[in-house]
Amino acid sequence: MATTTAAITLTSADLLTDALSLSATNTLYKAGTTVGLDQTTGMARAFLTATTVVDIFPQLIEGSIAFENKSSWVYICNKSEDETEFFTVKICENVIGKLYAGDFLWMPWSMRESVNANNHHGDITVAPSVDTGMAIEFTCINEGTEYPTENLVTS
Amino acid sequence: MATITAQLTVNSDITDYGIAINKSMTLTKAGTNNGLERTTGVQRVYLKDTKHIDLAKGGLANTNLEDMTVTGNTAGKVYIKYLSDDTSKYVIIGLGNEADNVTATALNGDATFFEIGRLYGNEWMIIPWNGASNVGDITVQPSIATTADQAIVEYIVFFE
Repeated sequence: MATTTAAITLTSADLLTDALSLSATNTLYKAGTTVGLDQTTGMARAFLTATTVVDIFPQLIEGSIAFENKSSWVYICNKSEDETEFFTVKICENVIGKLYAGDFLWMPWSMRESVNANNHHGDITVAPSVDTGMAIEFTCINEGTEYPTENLVTS
Repeated sequence: MATITAQLTVNSDITDYGIAINKSMTLTKAGTNNGLERTTGVQRVYLKDTKHIDLAKGGLANTNLEDMTVTGNTAGKVYIKYLSDDTSKYVIIGLGNEADNVTATALNGDATFFEIGRLYGNEWMIIPWNGASNVGDITVQPSIATTADQAIVEYIVFFE
């Protein structure tokens, strides 16, 4: 069983009158258990040169709802160094927010099926703000992966 | 101008090569290097039933919270943690409108409500927040909560 730990520290010495210091740590488990997550997409890095909206985890959501409501964790980081450039991050067509240069997110993902019946199980998508090239890193640590089946040529 | 820093560390032996994320970000206003300078402060809510409610409402500019501008092209950030030692319990974190204080049922892309993910006991998350009016609320719904055993959620919003 794998062990994955995640920790966050939020600090600011000058936001408030008193210093802000908030820390949290947890181990990533399969849904409702104390069994560690054991699958991952691995860390990916992409360089996107169009402002097209792209699905960054297509391998996790095709075909069935086998992993709906399981435990999955997503990390996305905008690797741009230009503070004006951002990625718009959506889940199933709903805008979560914008990751500006150097920003990251860390969030759970339920892979809920859309009622649009298009097998887009809570697609997580990103769209660069410019088409001059923006780098992004992302990974998913998850409980189950459904890979697309072989696309056989039948003609 | 304030300086707010978020440091994320993820370590795993999930593969032979492991996973190691060690990333720091400074929370800045949209399109600038100027730091975010407003916050809700750390909030703690006690949920005594399993109703679906708004945790943080989008589109709050010039309304309930003075000058809380999280809507549109801003760079708000939200941190949420479910305080429980029981890893079988969870809270559903959603995006959209609360479902009139009843159980959420809509699961689509038509801007009513969509489940982002579930925070089980002791889990936390940090996301950017668009906070669009009406469709960008951060919602929460506990799997189990009673008056005697309330679900406790902590959160903090940083905004422009």
